[in-house]
Amino acid sequence: MTDALRIEGLRAGYDDFDVLEGMSLHVGAGERVGLFGPNGHGKTTLLNAISATLARREGVVSFFGDRIDRARPQEIVVRGLIHVAQANSLFPDMEIMETLELAAWTPRARADKVANLDKVLTLFPRLAERRRQQAKTLSGGERQMLSIGVGLMCAPRMLMLDEPTLGLSPKLKDELADAIGAISAGGTPLLLVEQDIAFVLALVDRMYLVDHGTITREIDRGGSVDHQEIMDMYFGTETAP
Amino acid sequence: MMTAEALGTILVSGLVLGSIYALMASGLSLVWSTLGIFNFAHGTLMTLGAYVAWSLTDNAAGLGLSPIAGLLLTIPIMVLVGAAMEWLVVRPFYGHRAMMLITVMTTLAATVFIGKGIQLIWGARLKQLEPLVAGKITILGTTISAQELLIILLAPVLLAALWAFLRWSATGRGIRAVGQNPYAAKLIGINVPRLFIITFALSATLAGLTGVLISSVRLITPMLGDEPLIKALIIVIFGGLGSLAGTIWAAYLIGIAEAFLIYTIGIYWAPSLIFILLILVLLLRPQGLFGKVVR
Repeated sequence: MTDALRIEGLRAGYDDFDVLEGMSLHVGAGERVGLFGPNGHGKTTLLNAISATLARREGVVSFFGDRIDRARPQEIVVRGLIHVAQANSLFPDMEIMETLELAAWTPRARADKVANLDKVLTLFPRLAERRRQQAKTLSGGERQMLSIGVGLMCAPRMLMLDEPTLGLSPKLKDELADAIGAISAGGTPLLLVEQDIAFVLALVDRMYLVDHGTITREIDRGGSVDHQEIMDMYFGTETAP
Repeated sequence: MMTAEALGTILVSGLVLGSIYALMASGLSLVWSTLGIFNFAHGTLMTLGAYVAWSLTDNAAGLGLSPIAGLLLTIPIMVLVGAAMEWLVVRPFYGHRAMMLITVMTTLAATVFIGKGIQLIWGARLKQLEPLVAGKITILGTTISAQELLIILLAPVLLAALWAFLRWSATGRGIRAVGQNPYAAKLIGINVPRLFIITFALSATLAGLTGVLISSVRLITPMLGDEPLIKALIIVIFGGLGSLAGTIWAAYLIGIAEAFLIYTIGIYWAPSLIFILLILVLLLRPQGLFGKVVR
């Protein structure tokens, strides 16, 4: 079966500095994959390179078998590969309902608008309660719900979520974990970037460790997570006394 | 003590000025809030609209069309001019760190090119358009031309249409989204450059229509749009950057204030006094009348 997303040797970065130094990974159809690693090692850069909001320098990106490494951002959204950005402030002066309706922008998303809106409001009843409120007046958790809701309004055939729980309370994290679980249970492939290892492991089938712009390890759900390895990634390798 | 007749005169001529300023400044404001740049060629676009309409309508040297046909045909031409201008002087600098400063230069350069082009094509001789509606009308004890009344009535209609377009149409919503967060707009599939070019075309059309409407009241010269551009810039800042409603209120406020000053202290000192008033207001409210405090 064709993979939902396949990336080979992807290089991208800012100015004359490569953040991604030839990254390769794949997400199967219906598969949920985590991306874990310290800040500043290329996870967000990777998602921006995939969604073409950052120029790619080299490498192959394909989505359900079609090459998309030369596609423009709107063409990638049309295909249904949806990137929900980290701490996205969205459109500060727009109301919740207006934002959700706007997000059904591509023809395919517009055709599913009513059904998707229903899905989003069932998943996040709090958005329905605050439908007339402007995005800038929302709390961090509500904004994150709106961000994911916007992603769903785009009629995703695959979702990439960038740190959906950044800065949220444990209670809200649980709430979001339930929502993300419900979304992927519907069969939408998922690429989840997270710093909270317990949160990722609860939601994914497989996980990649990212370090200095490359994938350093792949962990299957069956395999146990080596805590020492994660500690080393964050604090540097400890030398024995 | 001011007589009722004097107040009527101030109100009516203030509304004419305010309407012209509102039509000009709303286009400028729209481009600012969507692309984050000031289009210094906005005044020249107004001038160009007037000359285009003159060529379409003049019986001797032009095509001799009716004034209304001239007005309507000017619209598609201004759409094309606006789109071409965006393509040539703004698009090459998308995403550049200094885009705002570079486009100050490129839009000023466009002003020079278009201005010289106008002189080459149409010459420096004064021209005037035939009014859309002829005759004179007396309101509040003040006699104005029917064309001026038309401007007073038409401006709110056009501005309301612009507001409704931005508020409710899909494209209008997209334009607001792009202005508020272009990155988030890309992630939901909005073709940002396409909306930039639509915004520019819309803004150019507003400027061109202003030129057509005023050119049967004033004379057409290659400098027709210069002073309205400066006024529009002031109004956009005074009303609060990024707020279309603020721009429109500020336009009418300044129009009426200007009419009041012209009536009371004369046309010679009125422009300077308006600047002093604006500076005083901005000292008290640096974000403008309706502007938000910028992060």
